Amino acid sequence: MILSLLIFLPLLGALVIALLPESQVIQFRWIAFVITLAEVMLSVVAYREFNQAIDDYQLVEQVNWITLPLGNLGIVSIDYLLGIDGISLPLVILSAVVMLIGVGASWTMTHRLRAYYSLYLLLTGTVMGCFVALDFFLFFLFFEFMLLPMYFLIGLWGGPRREYASIKFFLYTLFGSLLILLVMIGLSLSVMDPVSTAITAGLIPDPSAVTDELMRSIQSALQSGQLNSAQIVHTFTMRYLSDSNNYLPNALLNPASQLIVWGFSARQLAFWAIFIGFAIKLPIVPLHTWLPEAHVEAPTPVSVVLAGVLLKIGGYGFLRIAWDFFPDGAVNYTQILAGLGVLSIVYGGLNALAQADLKKMIAYSSVSHMGFVLLGIASLTAEGINGAIYQMVSHGVLSAMLFLIAGVVYDRTHDRRIDSYRGLMKPMPRYTTLTAIAFFASLGLPGFSGFVGELFTLMGSFQSRWLAGWLTVVATTGVLLAAAYFLWTLQRMFFGPYWSRHEATTVLTDLTAREKLMLIPLAVLALLLGLFPNLIFNLTNATVTQWLLKFSVE
Amino acid sequence: MPVHTPLSLSLLTTVLLGLPFVGFLALAVASRRVSALLASLITGLGLGLSIVLALHVPDQPLTIQAAWANLSGTLFSASFRLDSLSALMLVLVHFVALLVQIYSVAYLHDEPRLRRYFAYLQLFVGAMLGIVLAGNLLVMYAFWELVGLASYLLIGFYAERPAASKAAKKAFLMNRVGDAGFLIGIFLTYYFFRTLDFSAFNTAGAGVTLPTVLGLCLFMGCMGKSAQFPLLTWLPDAMEGPTPVSALLHAATMVAAGIFLLARIHPLLSPDALVVVALIGTITTVWGGYSALFQTDIKKVLAFSTVSQLGLMVAAMGTGNVSGAMFHLLTHAFFKAGLFLSAGAVIHAVHTQDMRHMGGLRQALPITFWSYTLCAAALAGVPFLSGFLSKEAILGGAFDWANQQTSGLASIIPILLLLSSGLTMLYMARQWRLVFFGNYRNRHISLEQTHEPDWLMRGPMVVLAVLSIGFWFSINPLSVHGSWFFCVLPATSESHFWWLAPVSIGLIAVGGWAGFRMKDPRTETLAVRLSLEYGFLDVLFQHLVINPTQKLANLLSRADRRLVDGAVNKLGVSLVVLAYIVRTLDRLVIDGIVNGAAWLASLLGQMTRSVQNGRVQSYITVTVVGLVLVLWWLLY
Repeated sequence: MILSLLIFLPLLGALVIALLPESQVIQFRWIAFVITLAEVMLSVVAYREFNQAIDDYQLVEQVNWITLPLGNLGIVSIDYLLGIDGISLPLVILSAVVMLIGVGASWTMTHRLRAYYSLYLLLTGTVMGCFVALDFFLFFLFFEFMLLPMYFLIGLWGGPRREYASIKFFLYTLFGSLLILLVMIGLSLSVMDPVSTAITAGLIPDPSAVTDELMRSIQSALQSGQLNSAQIVHTFTMRYLSDSNNYLPNALLNPASQLIVWGFSARQLAFWAIFIGFAIKLPIVPLHTWLPEAHVEAPTPVSVVLAGVLLKIGGYGFLRIAWDFFPDGAVNYTQILAGLGVLSIVYGGLNALAQADLKKMIAYSSVSHMGFVLLGIASLTAEGINGAIYQMVSHGVLSAMLFLIAGVVYDRTHDRRIDSYRGLMKPMPRYTTLTAIAFFASLGLPGFSGFVGELFTLMGSFQSRWLAGWLTVVATTGVLLAAAYFLWTLQRMFFGPYWSRHEATTVLTDLTAREKLMLIPLAVLALLLGLFPNLIFNLTNATVTQWLLKFSVE
Repeated sequence: MPVHTPLSLSLLTTVLLGLPFVGFLALAVASRRVSALLASLITGLGLGLSIVLALHVPDQPLTIQAAWANLSGTLFSASFRLDSLSALMLVLVHFVALLVQIYSVAYLHDEPRLRRYFAYLQLFVGAMLGIVLAGNLLVMYAFWELVGLASYLLIGFYAERPAASKAAKKAFLMNRVGDAGFLIGIFLTYYFFRTLDFSAFNTAGAGVTLPTVLGLCLFMGCMGKSAQFPLLTWLPDAMEGPTPVSALLHAATMVAAGIFLLARIHPLLSPDALVVVALIGTITTVWGGYSALFQTDIKKVLAFSTVSQLGLMVAAMGTGNVSGAMFHLLTHAFFKAGLFLSAGAVIHAVHTQDMRHMGGLRQALPITFWSYTLCAAALAGVPFLSGFLSKEAILGGAFDWANQQTSGLASIIPILLLLSSGLTMLYMARQWRLVFFGNYRNRHISLEQTHEPDWLMRGPMVVLAVLSIGFWFSINPLSVHGSWFFCVLPATSESHFWWLAPVSIGLIAVGGWAGFRMKDPRTETLAVRLSLEYGFLDVLFQHLVINPTQKLANLLSRADRRLVDGAVNKLGVSLVVLAYIVRTLDRLVIDGIVNGAAWLASLLGQMTRSVQNGRVQSYITVTVVGLVLVLWWLLY
């Protein structure tokens, strides 16, 4: 029930706001605030209900949604299936927190509030849906639907080049989801739902009668071709998609399939298609160029949400879908995948160093930090995977903070160029302190969360038996680059004698209470996570151990 | 409860480590007036606690552990360790920090951000304590970075000065270069031993051939923090911080951390790695010594003397002489802190750091003069002072090591170390003369206006000068053998070279005479510039590292915009163009075909109109024939 609430509460809120009369405009932000606050509470409830020792999906809700008989081709079944595990729970909590902070950052929005807040809540609901859906079809639905509010949030409330940025964002992601869609259809045609198949075949009366033995027997019946194809129930359920025993013997994506296209097996192609789909979202170089544009044009709260939450869906998709459904592909290409991660780390870092726009600098630093996620996942070690999930949470908190910080100065002068300011420490001491905290936390200072994520992803990649040691060595230069671009920015913008390009027109005031109310909790959160990383690892451990089993055999 | 039970010792250690961080937080809310008092009280309390701990150090190292990160079965714990080595450092860090804070009360009397200053100092001390008490490499790395942060904040304390914020950034970044290597070293250690605990290292090395690269990576951490060649240029720039900070940074915290690291990881250094360590240390000693020779800034001379002495300690570590290096760390901490505090008193009096605008201050500042003289003599290794003893320990160990090496080339290292002690005397004597002898050369402040500082400043200076006397460390101030220090840390070599003391005394005498007599050349010869710009390391660094990185960054940024994003945009544009082409085709061809078909139909209509001639018979004929044809097609 909790997970459904997480999805539908914001959707309901979006509807309410859309229906309220324009005279209630001042209430919209309060409605959004209350709903996102409720989301945080719901995620806390989910956290408390979650049993850390269990490595399976929890808080599962399952309703059969669509059953489509296709005659001889079997039956297609789509479930409304929700659940969380150690991979999704941290991200659910993160999303709830960042969404709440995003409402705080939206407080100063002035025009078209009704549309803004209902789109914002629509986004909240779909993001939550992405993280808790356990049916691939349902996931895809949320994944696609997320595009719509995001497109308008950038396109309507963005900066001068907002149309270009939003279309670019839209097309990029759409291209990715097209690839995912293709694979999804292929998967569904290739995989049966053993439980429902057993029911249609008349072996058991209802799902409660399922035993392990029965599962095995029906799977072996499938493999030996004893099942009548009309009785096979095709499924999108992720649990079944990730088990190779459920693949139809002659199916396109069966691991034993001999089909070769352009020198690749169908499964390898499918892996790459899914990978590209999510790599666009993460983003991974060279599929990243939508990100700086989108960030620069997006208003502050949308940047916060984009960096804090939406990028994580890419990493989540790797773990939940690409790697889990196609372990053979992932193992086959670890070196290349880790290499892409390292490329993102270094390329993003160097690009960040060259940026003149504060927000663009932060955007490229995101590219660099997300590279660690891919590197950690590609390592296929407990350190690497746990570290990657941790890094996503940590980056969610820190990038939210960084984009808020960029927003502070933009709100005052509408100028984000680094060289427009010097010595901001003098008029804005508190702002400087919080910026310094955010920068140091992001560049991996121990005690803050950034360090833990980088440490364990790097350690995992170094210990990995799949990866060459030099990859980690090259990736470590990313840590160095992060120190360089953050400290250089700090020195140029905040230290030295005070000067601002807008001295004549704008008085630079220090942080307002609202800004402090957003930044300080995030800083405290980054500190807490950095001091007590087990807050996250306790959640992820059991799931990751189970997740890795698949790779220990191969 | 008796104080020596492990439980109460653990508790004390935890409290001790927590104190400065509590102090840091307390200073964030305390009022400016009480900040100095509060900070000194906290450090004083810490000093008391660490003395208690030092007196009750258990024979077996005491470890305190807490789970930190548990990753699917692998546990990384926050572990701390108290043994004689850490107890020694605890007392040292607290002692110097306390003196520096007392001194700062007077020195920074007019500083408006005093609270912030003391808070940063507490952070610095706390981070250093963390390094000292760390029980595994991971904890050490964490506090290692925290020391980096604290030094960044303190070096850049006058952040409104561009040079200060630049120096702070440089210090942090250069340290990070070393730390990147350190981190890789940690990964390697974990890879080979599956543990990062110091307690495991003594036995871990046995029976395994240690990878040299492991030791060298860990050593990179030391190269950054302890300013070893070539990562030494941040240290002279770090002089931008307040002078008492320099005293702390050069004596007991920060630069000492690298030496301490080497002491901890010594079992992990393979013989080849040790040779590299010794070599780097020796190069650093000579490099630092030569760079100090022609400096005109009073603090820069001291900074390079620190570089040189750190090189000496590192070389001692490389020659396997851990206790000698630690002994020199201890004696150096006192006289170097004393030198910086005395230099601060001089700067306080004449309001300049340029030694060309000093001179003849002997009578005007007698107390400063004498404490400076004692500390400088100790630094130079003059007999009866502490530096003589610790240098003897290092040089003796180095010659001993060279004798055991198969290659005769190994003796180059101890010989260079020996010569560099003459070099030390040379530049210190020059400085001594420039500051305290000759004519007073300052036009802005008359000699009568200069005065000795406040007692709060004089006290720490005098204490440190007194502690530079050799007697405190060895009953026989001419021989290091029998020093109490080697009861704390057992000496690695017992051999004694009868000629070593006379030779080094001779070298010191020659160096002192030459330094006192030497005239700075008027023209900037290459030799002078080589010293002033410390062997052009900064220039090289700028041209070989910073500029290429920036060029690469700019290049990639352009490539990102033009090529990567350009490709995406071109793809978009070409799709649009394709769409236009298709639309045009659609209009001309497809639509054309439809139109053509219509035209054809009407043509056919024209042609077949003649069939429809109104005659019923022909209609029936056509119908029947058609029907037959259709039936035929359907049936066959």
